[in-house]
Amino acid sequence: MKFSLLLFILYRKLKKAVKTNRAYRSHIGTVQLKILIKTADGKRGRLFIFDRGVLSTLTGGGHAADAALVWSDAATAFRVMASGSDEESFKAAAEGGLRVEGMAYYIQWFTDGIKLVMK
Amino acid sequence: MADIKAGHLVARYLKEVEKIDMVFGISGGHIESILDGFTEYSIRTIDVRHEQAAAMMAHAYSVYTGRPGVCFLTAGPGFTNGLTGIANAYLDNVPLVVLCGRHPLRDDLKGALQEMNQIDMVKPITKWAATCYDARRIPEYMAIAFRNATAGRPGPVFLELPPDILNITIPEESAPMPIKVARNYAVVPADEELEAAAEIINGAKKPLFLGGTGVGFSACSDRLGEFVEKTGIPFMLLNYGRGELPDTHPLSIWDCGNVGLLVTLGQADVIVAAGLRFNWLFMSGDVIPGGAKVVRIDIDPREIDRNRRADAGLVGDVGSVLGRLMPLVEKKDHGEWVRTLRAASHAFIDSELKARVAPSDPIHPIRLVAKIQEVVGEDALYVIDGGDTSYFGQVGLFTREKAGVIGSASGLLGCLGTGIPFGIAAKLARPDKPVVVLNGDGSFGFNSMEFDTMVRHNIPVVVVVNNDCAWGMIKHSQEMSIGGDRLQCSELGIRRYDLMVEGLGGHGEFVTKDEEIVPALKRALESGKPACVNVMTDPSVTSPATPLFYQSLKME
Ligand SMILES: Cc1ncc(C[n+]2csc(CCOP(=O)(O)OP(=O)(O)O)c2C)c(N)n1
Ligand SMILES: [Mg+2]
Repeated sequence: MKFSLLLFILYRKLKKAVKTNRAYRSHIGTVQLKILIKTADGKRGRLFIFDRGVLSTLTGGGHAADAALVWSDAATAFRVMASGSDEESFKAAAEGGLRVEGMAYYIQWFTDGIKLVMK
Repeated sequence: MADIKAGHLVARYLKEVEKIDMVFGISGGHIESILDGFTEYSIRTIDVRHEQAAAMMAHAYSVYTGRPGVCFLTAGPGFTNGLTGIANAYLDNVPLVVLCGRHPLRDDLKGALQEMNQIDMVKPITKWAATCYDARRIPEYMAIAFRNATAGRPGPVFLELPPDILNITIPEESAPMPIKVARNYAVVPADEELEAAAEIINGAKKPLFLGGTGVGFSACSDRLGEFVEKTGIPFMLLNYGRGELPDTHPLSIWDCGNVGLLVTLGQADVIVAAGLRFNWLFMSGDVIPGGAKVVRIDIDPREIDRNRRADAGLVGDVGSVLGRLMPLVEKKDHGEWVRTLRAASHAFIDSELKARVAPSDPIHPIRLVAKIQEVVGEDALYVIDGGDTSYFGQVGLFTREKAGVIGSASGLLGCLGTGIPFGIAAKLARPDKPVVVLNGDGSFGFNSMEFDTMVRHNIPVVVVVNNDCAWGMIKHSQEMSIGGDRLQCSELGIRRYDLMVEGLGGHGEFVTKDEEIVPALKRALESGKPACVNVMTDPSVTSPATPLFYQSLKME
């Protein structure tokens, strides 16, 4: 539950940033990418759709995406994502708590954007 | 007293003083007596089809042999065609000796054929450039050229030789051959810097060693092996340093790829960088975390603090510096850190690892690479040239050979077209090893006429074309920037490069299906001919290098 809520809040923050945050707007530019964050069982998740400066979303973990951040379970996902720490992500990845499907660089790009917004 | 054609002095010097056995170039009237000297002194000439290829081959020959490569260019267009290859050697810090014709001094300002100021053009891309005006001083100028190419940080040199001095006959004793002195000298780092470096390395919890071209030219595999084994430090060898220790060494992290490298860099607390520039590929130092301690080793003191202030800076040849560090560093085991960084890196490249082992239709480029590795193995030399192709080849090919995997287009010039010339030089330098070039279809076009050179000189290199019918890296970055509906100059067609090679006398294979890759590669290798394996791959696949490249040019 907490994980789904976190994804929802994240979406709202990014959506607002698209309108108000110049740096973020420039970061997403004209990129067309679908980024999925989900649990490995596919039960929870959210798709972030970037389409030439417009951000939209779909809930659920079953969507096709250019890259997906796949968490072993919702509790790990919440703990690591809420920490916002690269070190925690690195540890989670090493311990099997997290893996990337598709290109890691797109996830990096997505999380760099989050960092811009949270700054 | 014997006389000598002054142009022959060039070959005589190369043979007798430098022990050069092979040179690369194209003929021309202005350099005829140099060419005749090659015959006189039995120097093998590899005559190519474009002078840029000659410069690139000589450059690569230096990399594979550890001795300066030599190319010859005729005046004017021969010279201008060679410039790209010279610039590449300059940006790669590779010793390359360029011998060049020019219009006669006698005809200066008269509108002579190919009259132009070559020296001023080449100066900014050479370590040293000069014209010799006196036939008797040809050997002396040659010696100066070789010294400049190899002393300190290596680089290309350019010697211009006018017909006025080449095409005359002089008494032999008026142009004596200089004696080459092999001086055993070393630039040595300061003791306090060595102590500071050792203290940093001894205190590291999550260290990483990165070695570059300086490691390769130092030829320091023994010392490097002792160093990493004593300190337990995981490492990655890049550029012409790759293969100085085998990619399969238990502490090499090439299995983590470039993505793993970036992920690991972000967590490392100590980074030892040897003979490696923190250039755009390291986002000019920005990928190194602010809190990490950095030890730099470089033969050029100007590199020590470039783009990132070093916590210890050791100036000198990598091998000799490591030798001095050895007694000061402690025996360590970083096994836990190595396991962690491997596991984390693999989690980030999970899809890529899976794509290597699963058959695909259309063929995924990393799958093609995995199949090449399966067939050709670790006892081979690989050259990779292309955009996205370069990424896939560099992360997916592994050898136990020095300079075993070279991204020829991944240097600072990012010069497409280098692959085939490098492959040819690799085969000439190490004829006993299979040589495979992995080429993008775009890159293949630049120097594919060198298949004729391979056929004439019997140089059986296998060139595998990763054919996505596009200048893929550019196409995919245009998709991100201007949009897929406005692609400009980034698409190519389905072309039978294999038939083109057959037409030139080589062996051709055309592959569209996963299961055809292995038999086609085997036939190509067994043909004993220069071969082209033209493999149609998935045009929608891009590599992580492309968004990185796209971001590096984004200005707002
Ligand atoms: C000589 C040269 N011309 C142009 C470029 C610009 N460029 C960089 S990557 C690239 C596309 C390479 O296409 P290809 O060789 O087919 O490799 P792919 O990216 O498709 O794998 C181009 C044109 C360059 N780096 N070098
Ligand atoms: Mg291509």
